This record gives sequence, C-alpha cells and structure tokens, in this order.
Amino acid sequence: MTDTNEKGGDSAEVKKDHGVLYIGMDLGTSRTSVSASNGVRETVYSIVGYPKDVVSLKLLKKDVLYGKEAIEKRLSLKMYRPLEKGVIKTGDDADAEAKANLKAAKDLIGEAIRLAKPRADELVYCVIGAPAEASMHNREAIIDAAREHVDSVMLCSEPFAVAYGLEWLEDVLVIDIGAGTTDLCRMHGTMPEETDQVMFDIAGDAVDAALAKLIEETCPGAQFTVQMIKNIKERHGYVGEIAERVVVELPVDGKPTPFDLTDQLRTACSILIEPILEGIQKLVSTFDPEFQAKLKDRVLLAGGGSMVKGLDSAVEKAMNERLGSGKVIRIEEPIYGGSNGALKIAHDMPEDFWEQLK
Amino acid sequence: MAGFKDTLKDAVRQMSFRTSVDKLKKKGVQNVNVLGIDRIISLIEAAVHRSLKTRLVGIDREAVAESTKAEFLRLLRSNEDLQREKSQVEQARERAEEEIDLMRRELGEKRSALQVKLEQDAVELATRYDGENADIAMKVAAVVKSLAESGDSSRSSVEGRLMELVMDVVSGERGDAETARLALQDREVGNLQRRIKKLNDTLASTEQRLNKVSAMKTVDDGISSIYRDVQGLDESDSHSGKKKELMADLFKANLMLQKRSKGA
Repeated sequence: MTDTNEKGGDSAEVKKDHGVLYIGMDLGTSRTSVSASNGVRETVYSIVGYPKDVVSLKLLKKDVLYGKEAIEKRLSLKMYRPLEKGVIKTGDDADAEAKANLKAAKDLIGEAIRLAKPRADELVYCVIGAPAEASMHNREAIIDAAREHVDSVMLCSEPFAVAYGLEWLEDVLVIDIGAGTTDLCRMHGTMPEETDQVMFDIAGDAVDAALAKLIEETCPGAQFTVQMIKNIKERHGYVGEIAERVVVELPVDGKPTPFDLTDQLRTACSILIEPILEGIQKLVSTFDPEFQAKLKDRVLLAGGGSMVKGLDSAVEKAMNERLGSGKVIRIEEPIYGGSNGALKIAHDMPEDFWEQLK
Repeated sequence: MAGFKDTLKDAVRQMSFRTSVDKLKKKGVQNVNVLGIDRIISLIEAAVHRSLKTRLVGIDREAVAESTKAEFLRLLRSNEDLQREKSQVEQARERAEEEIDLMRRELGEKRSALQVKLEQDAVELATRYDGENADIAMKVAAVVKSLAESGDSSRSSVEGRLMELVMDVVSGERGDAETARLALQDREVGNLQRRIKKLNDTLASTEQRLNKVSAMKTVDDGISSIYRDVQGLDESDSHSGKKKELMADLFKANLMLQKRSKGA
C-alpha cells in the first residue's frame, strides 16, 4: 500500500494530548477542498495516478501522485478519477478496475487530510461533504477511507454544508454546481430529507463535453484535450452577454491558431440553466406555499460551476420569467464554500457525538 | 666574577681542539709547550684590564669592562647556538646521506635485477626465435626435399607448396596473437566489470542516502490547531437551539451509517 496507510498506523500510537484539529472536506468529482482549524485551506484536483511500471516508479520516486502533479506526469501513470457524477465509481466489487478505483478514492481522501497538515499528537475530527444523493455503499466507502487517517469522521450533504457555513439555515435553496452533478437542496431549519433534494448530472463535465463537441464541429483541425477544455471553460465560461469576444489559441497541425470561441462557450455553459430552473421549480412548488416567496428570494449558488460568469443573473432572470420572482446570490468562495461549511459543522458538533463515532 | 671566569674557561675549552701525541708526531712536532687553562684565562683578563686601564679612567673603565663581558657572553651564547644548529644540520645531513646511500644500494640492486631479467629475456627471445627459426627451416627443408623427390619442379607446384608453408607458419602466429589479444581483452573486460560493480555499489548507497534524505525532508510536524479542546456549540449563538437539533440529526444519521458499516 502507499504511505498513507503507514501514516495512519503511526498516528494511532501517538498520545493525542496537543489539541483538536477540525477538518472540513468537500469531496468533489473535479476538486477536493479542505479547510482546517489550523488555518490551512487547500484544494487538489480529484485525480490519482499510479506509476505504470517499475521504470516509471523509479523515475517518479513516488508510489502515488495526485492532482496537478498527476496530470503533468500522466504519460507515466495509470490515471484514476475516482469520483464520477459526485460518487465513487465502485461498480461491481469483483471488478478489478472497481477495486482499483476504490483504492484511488481512499488514497485521495488520505491526501486531502494530509494537505490539512494535522499534527500526530492532535485529535483529528473531520466532516466530509458528500453528494446529497450518494448511495449508502458510497458513504460507507468514504467513511472507511477517512477512518484510516482521522480519529472521528462524519458525512453531510454538500448543499447542507454550504448553507450551514453561511448560517442560512431556514428557507434557503442551495444550488451546488460541481463537476459531476448539480445538487439542489432546500433548507427549512431541519436536516434536509430526500424530498428536499434534487440532483442531476448536467454539471461541469457536461459543459466540458458540450464545449468539446462544439469546438470539433466549428473549429476544423483544432486539437485539444479534456484538460484544455476545462481550463478554457474555467477561464472564459459565461452565459448571457459579454463585453469582449473570447479568442483562444488551439494547435492545428502543431501550429497555435486563434479561434473565436465566444458563441461556443455561451452555448455550452447555457446548458446548466434549464435543469437548474426545473429543479428550483420542483423544490419551490412542493414547499409550504406561505414560504415559497421567501425561498425564491434566498437562492444560493455554490460550487466550482457557479464561477461561470453571468450564471447568477441568468438564473435570476429565468426565475423571474417562469416563477414570477427570484433572487440568486453567488457565494464568495465557490471552491471553499463546502469545506468551510463542513469545518463549521465539525466545530459545532458536541464532544459526546465525536466520542461515540470513534 | 668567578662565574665569568668559569664561562671564559669553558669558551677556551670549546675553541680548542683535541689531538693525540702520535698525531702531533706525524705532523713533525717533537716538543710541546704546555700552558694551563687558568693561566690563559688570567692572561686574557690581565690583558683586557691593562688595555682598558691605559685608555679609560674610573667609572668608564668599569662600565666598559662590564659591557665587554656581557658582549663576550652574548657572542659566546650565539656561538653555542650556532654550534648546536650546525650539529643538528650535520645530523640531518648524515641521515639524508644514509637514506641516499640506502636508495642508491636499492637502485643498484634493482638495476642489477633488471639487467639480469633483460639478459634472461634476450636469451629466451633468442632461444624462442632460434626454435621457431629451426622449425621454419625444417619445414622449408621438408618441402624442398619432397619437391626434389617428386621431381615436380614446375612453378605452380613450387608456388603452391611455398604458399602452404607460409600459410602454415602465419596461421600459427595469428593463433598466438589472437590468444594474446583475447587474454588482454578478458583482462580489460574483467577490469570494466569490477569498475561497473563498484559504480553500482556506489550508486546503490547514494540512492539509499538520497532516499533517507528525501524521507527526512518530507517529515512534517504539521500545523497546530487553534483549539486545545473540543469546542461544540456556543450557547450564546442566536441559532443555538436550531443548530443543536441539526447536529443531533446529523449525528444520528452518521451513527446509523457507521453501525451498519461496522456490522457489514
């Protein structure tokens, strides 16, 4: 196994008398972010790579690589993106690929906890924001993976963590746009139930796929990778109107060639709006009629996908047209919104609860 | 004053040289006038005092006498130092000469051994070539004899037999040369293999050290949390009641999940 397990074993032998470290984690399809009570805030691409053979192992001098480093060395690595549509790709347990994927997910969780720089002599309590509709099997896998590195761990739904972090506990609708899924969750002062949540897979990855298809169709000879598309989207993605045309260089027969991707970017990013609106409509229409107006006026936009320029205005405009009113607020830190909320939950959780979950 | 006299006496003794009656006889000396050392010393003193007395008066004389004595003693000490240094240099020179003699003897021995070896090699070489020459001569003689006996003295026949003979000798030489070359090559290969092994060992140990250093570099104590104890909800929080319920619900859901997980 990797060094992650070794570390976990070691920490169990150390006397934990130094303090208590709380960690909030947002385990996402594209990125995993951590916020900790020692001031650390880190994010890593949810990508795990293992050396393909002995030669690459010798060259890389590491058993496992994560995030950007793994992407950079991908030619020497067997790559895993362990989360798909917000959940661990477990498939059939007998499948070797599924097992490898589960191991990659465990290693990724270990790495995320290591990024928080916990001391060996501190108690580590962690709250992980998992997708709202993650399966029981998936939740167990996440708990098992985290248990190797922390003293006590809890799961919560990502939208709930975002809302809790901002102290918006009542009559609020959270839209968390990740890479694999978009989660909508209404909060009404209690733990959200299944009927309070909507999840669909039109999210960041779907936008990437749509953009790639449009570029293929409209930019003859342009060469690109998924990562290049993702970078273009993160930098220039928008909906609605834009002041300047978006011109991006892509290689054609090895020569960097400028392409105007303004329309393609708008078209690709706009695919997010309609399903979001449908989700909002569903959650609003099934809510107590007395509080529907309040809910519509308290819509929070979170997650990496919320960084698409103009998305809040576009959703708000569509809500006004279809639902009569609406006010959408984009959270200040889309990347760390989930992990900050999870950290706050960890902090507020009574000691007794942590003890019982050890 | 007595001290000075003794010193003067020692100095005179040091400056004198020792010889034997026989040596003097050899030099043609038959009679010797002996003058005691005390007498010599008193003569020197008297001479100095008289000289000073005639040129100086009173205090000056005494001062000059004292100064002269001091200068004499300084010179004497300086002379002693020089003597000592001279003696050390001479000892060093003797040692160096002994070493050189030793080296010369060793060099001579080596030269003799080399000469013997060269002579032996020359003899061996001559003998070896003598033997080879004799072999070649025998082979030539055999060829000529067989040609004579066969009565076939045509040019092609002679050429063919001579070619056979030459090729026989040359192939023998080539074989020897090849064996020698292979032996040399084996030696070189052996050396290279030893060198490679050494390099491999060095590389392995360097890698081991590097790994240790890398491991040490990655040792990270971590960053301390701002909390010494478990926190929990702040009772003064305006939403504390609602938050308590939420925390309890979240805990129950997780407890069920983890019980199920442990049960499985």
